[in-house]
Amino acid sequence: MSFYGRHPRPALKNSVDVQLQTAFSDGNWPSVIRLADKRFKSLKDPYYEAIKISAESQLDSAAEKCSVLVAIDALVKSKTVPDYDVLELYEWAARDFLEDIDYADTLGPLRARWVKANPKSPLAVQCLQSCLEYWDLVSAQQISATLDKANVNTTDRRYMYWSVLLTFLLSISPQCTENSRKIYSLLALKQLERAADITENSPKVEPTDRGLLTEEEFYLYFRVLRTLGFKEDYLNRLESPKLGALSQLKADRKVLFWESLDVLESWGEWDRIFDLCKQALSLGLDGETPEFYVCDLRIWKKLVAAASKVANEESALEEVQSILNRFIAIKDKANAMYRKNISLALLETTFRFPATLLTPSPDHGGLTPRVIQIGLFLENYYDRLAAFDDVKDYVSQLSFEEAKAFTEIVLSKMLEENSDKTKRVILKALEYKIRYLLTTCPQTLSHHPSVVDGEEQAKPYRCRFCSKLASLPCEHCLKQMIVEAADTHKQIANDAEIKDAIPKLDRDPRLDLSLVIGNALLKLAGLKPQTGDIAPSPLRDVDSGLFLRAVVVLDSQLKETPSDTGLRLLLVKLYLLLGCASYAQQIWIPMDVKRTIQDALSPLFFDRIGSLSPGLFQSTRGLMDPLRSYYSNSLRDSCPLRIWDAFSAGSYSSILDLTEYDSRLRRSSTLMMTLVEERRATRAFGGKLDGDIEVSPFTEDIGDNTELVNKTDYGSFTNLEGSQGPPIQDFVRLGPDLSNVRSHLSFLTEQYLDLLGFKPPKDYKPAKANEAAIRDRNYIIETLARLNNSLTMFLHKSETPLFLTSAEMTYNTVVSLLSASLLTSISTSRADPVPKAVCAIGSSVRSAFAHLRTSFYTPLPTGSSSSPPDIYSSVINFHTMSYVRDTALAMKYSAAFVISFHEKELARDRTGKSSLHKEVIAEMKALDAVATKALMELKKHVQKMKESLGEGGWLDRMLDWVFGLEEDDEQEDEVAKAVEQVIGGRAEAEEWVSKVLESWREGAKGWGMVRME
Amino acid sequence: MANFRRFRPEDLNKLSKCNLDPLTETYELGFYLQYYAKWPSLFQVAEDQNGNIIGYIMGKLESSPDVYKFSEHYLPWHAHITAVTVAPEARRLGIGKLLTEQLEVAADANDAFFVDLFVRSTNHKAITFYKSMGYSIYRVVKDYYGDHSSDPTKDTEDAYDMRKPMKRDVKLEHIRENGEKFEVDPNDVW
Repeated sequence: MSFYGRHPRPALKNSVDVQLQTAFSDGNWPSVIRLADKRFKSLKDPYYEAIKISAESQLDSAAEKCSVLVAIDALVKSKTVPDYDVLELYEWAARDFLEDIDYADTLGPLRARWVKANPKSPLAVQCLQSCLEYWDLVSAQQISATLDKANVNTTDRRYMYWSVLLTFLLSISPQCTENSRKIYSLLALKQLERAADITENSPKVEPTDRGLLTEEEFYLYFRVLRTLGFKEDYLNRLESPKLGALSQLKADRKVLFWESLDVLESWGEWDRIFDLCKQALSLGLDGETPEFYVCDLRIWKKLVAAASKVANEESALEEVQSILNRFIAIKDKANAMYRKNISLALLETTFRFPATLLTPSPDHGGLTPRVIQIGLFLENYYDRLAAFDDVKDYVSQLSFEEAKAFTEIVLSKMLEENSDKTKRVILKALEYKIRYLLTTCPQTLSHHPSVVDGEEQAKPYRCRFCSKLASLPCEHCLKQMIVEAADTHKQIANDAEIKDAIPKLDRDPRLDLSLVIGNALLKLAGLKPQTGDIAPSPLRDVDSGLFLRAVVVLDSQLKETPSDTGLRLLLVKLYLLLGCASYAQQIWIPMDVKRTIQDALSPLFFDRIGSLSPGLFQSTRGLMDPLRSYYSNSLRDSCPLRIWDAFSAGSYSSILDLTEYDSRLRRSSTLMMTLVEERRATRAFGGKLDGDIEVSPFTEDIGDNTELVNKTDYGSFTNLEGSQGPPIQDFVRLGPDLSNVRSHLSFLTEQYLDLLGFKPPKDYKPAKANEAAIRDRNYIIETLARLNNSLTMFLHKSETPLFLTSAEMTYNTVVSLLSASLLTSISTSRADPVPKAVCAIGSSVRSAFAHLRTSFYTPLPTGSSSSPPDIYSSVINFHTMSYVRDTALAMKYSAAFVISFHEKELARDRTGKSSLHKEVIAEMKALDAVATKALMELKKHVQKMKESLGEGGWLDRMLDWVFGLEEDDEQEDEVAKAVEQVIGGRAEAEEWVSKVLESWREGAKGWGMVRME
Repeated sequence: MANFRRFRPEDLNKLSKCNLDPLTETYELGFYLQYYAKWPSLFQVAEDQNGNIIGYIMGKLESSPDVYKFSEHYLPWHAHITAVTVAPEARRLGIGKLLTEQLEVAADANDAFFVDLFVRSTNHKAITFYKSMGYSIYRVVKDYYGDHSSDPTKDTEDAYDMRKPMKRDVKLEHIRENGEKFEVDPNDVW
């Protein structure tokens, strides 16, 4: 067998003569055709005709290429059993068409027909494999059923389970007709029920029995039962001593137990969750499983949660306490991880149990058992990298009195009692992180009347820690924290002993200190969560001086701890906000986001990158190639990747999971982002697009009802925020996260632009020009109607503004309006009354566009403590600028499309009846004029920005901007000094300023290359 | 903070804590899925309370091709540890050991004679770790790695093929005491 790409060229039958064999293996197709034809005529063996047809289909002419399709069609219609080798030949010969022709209507049924006639042949499995490779579940199910019937008494149990599994997969697949769905569901379920009964009622299941025997067979049964069966049946089987979750656990198999907890929770079956977790944990204590095998934190959390929901809560909680105490008694024997899980379980119990059930402590204000337990936990784990994350959620839940006692008594005591200098700075760093966390928790503030003594109060709260008037978070506490953290930073910098000890620690405490300082400065700067319909730039109302101080502190820390990904990711996002995309890229690249992790991590850098810095696509060759090639490799076949491996290994649960994962990956928002960002950048530089987005192999199954899924992984961000508020990524992202709505709108607007940009091939000269023109017009009208319906549907959803920046909202709205305008314009010929809607829509478009331009050109509000140079409002506004351009171009292209249509109709139809109304043309010219003017203005804006950044004296201006401020208040002055101290003085910041400037210049240079027409 | 369970494909969206660490290699999707498809019980993960993967082990079950049956280098049915990694924040908690033990349970359940793995001969920390778990050096594969982890003047590095016998190897026939002295060529490793 020789290989040509993915499709192996089949070996010819041994009976074929050497001459023909050689010509075939050499790919000498004219010789093969000649020789095969000769052999066919002399031997009358249809196999030679098949060789000839297959060879013809390797030639260039369309008719010859398609000859194999004709042959396949004839075979399908003939109802005879095809020859296996002929099938192999045809499948190979038709390989280039298999994405276009439906395998399930052609080769799939032929394979199934062959297997039915040859059920015992070892080649039958090959037929199954072929059908699965083309994800023809109908034929695969038929083949597997035939195989099962033919191999009833074999020890190879896979035949039976392939059949059941494929019947199940078909029943939940769109390939199944609605009429058959119920039958297949019932069939799969009943077969498995029968197998479960056999296992339940037999003393021992032999490999030849049709009961459940292997681990994977059990999992398949429960998955199918969960999907297709009755809840009561699932619950009964789950408790079965032979099949159930506990019996599986005793055999060291956790999967069913884990899955069942999710299922039970979704049904609200807390009594059962409680019993199941209790019995599972007891297995370890009773010696039926390894002691700590089930000591996962999740199990403890579920047990405790269930105990508080069952009918007899008090008794249930006592039982939890009793089990936990038994584990605590033996925890010294446990692995460090399980010891920690048990400690966390104790903490969890303390927080979930009613206070009346906890051992009462003498009244020390807020020093409750909850506070004491956090302290006890930290005594053991404070120096571990995960310590803060471990206690964060619990600290967030403390009342103010408890939080005060925790910071002022517990943490202070831990500090006092620790004489080791290094350990003290670790503890201090942890203390600052916890204090920062508490500033984000609303219980640390009390409401303050908006008017006091007739005077309106500027701040709505009073901080319960410092008693000052505050916003959320308390500015005074944040400033205090910055100053203190900077002092600790300085202490480390001046202490050789501590510095020497740092490499041996889990984490450099300076990193935590810098993160606290950086996060506190971001909050003081006024950075707000970017959760929808934001102002032109998220930084518009943010104090630029404080924001830049945060960035410089974090950037300076990156030099000390370059391998910390949390810090790196935060900086990437901050530099993107700041308009420094090329510098953000420099920080992004060392993380080496490649291959499999791209789908989840690439949006952190690439989302909206085309609108921020189109120049990156010019300066970095193949900027998004790795992403595209990832999807090309992973989604190349219509079947899920590695599916046959799972079939042949009998990994039934893997088959179900791989199928689900594949379906999700094909609907990835990151995939849509990849396509759209590349296309926008290509258009920005006047490049040639690969083709319409709608015909991309990645989008062929995407319709309006397809749920596009965002799986961005924020797990590596260092999140110091409390659990009641948004996480850090919501503050530092340019706008709302990737979403189904945004992905669909991007897809639809790209389709609209594809329609406007379509140009027929130069040699396209239809024989019947009038008929072709009518067809074209109908196609345009149908496409516009479809796009307008879809765009309107997405834009009219009440939650849509939450998923878009204001610039994106305007752009999508304008495109939707334009599609409506074009639809009306083109579908209304001069024979019809003048369409008044066109003028009304035009007015709406101009109004929306004017609003977008105004928001872009409006200067930054004054009044912040620092005065940024004018250029700042441009560089932080690249995203809006991009949409001003895109909106203008959409208007311009739309106008050009209508005018061109009108002119073509005028030229074709001299009566003038099919051309458009002059009012429509006037409206389009008006739109074009507005857009052209806006683009000219934008061009000048970019030029001015480039010139401004090219001027001298920027270094000092920037340094003055960031550091040279005379602060009004003493505390703010202290903050400024603290920042200088952490970064090592103003001189140390010069290199940073140069990088920021350079990145702005690169961004502006890229914009200078963008076409404004 | 950790749960131990079998890998699921959705975990690939939660790998950042492990795979953004420069010491962890990221493979093509097909590589992870192949292991999940063929040997799901030998692909185990540790996750934190937010579902982030903080450690994982990938292993496979195999024997040498039959054509090598009579070769001295023939490997009978055994489990092989392909990759094991723990996120920086989850180190020093014995997660690597627990994951390895879980793979060994799966190896026993699949009737393997032994579990083996390759480690750089200069990775003393890993060698000590595996020795503490009952692994011993079976042979030295000369110049197995195409680079050297600590000496830039060298362009290759030896691998230790380490093994731990499983229940099936009752007579301990598949391990040896002085494995450091048995040197083989990379071509002898299949």
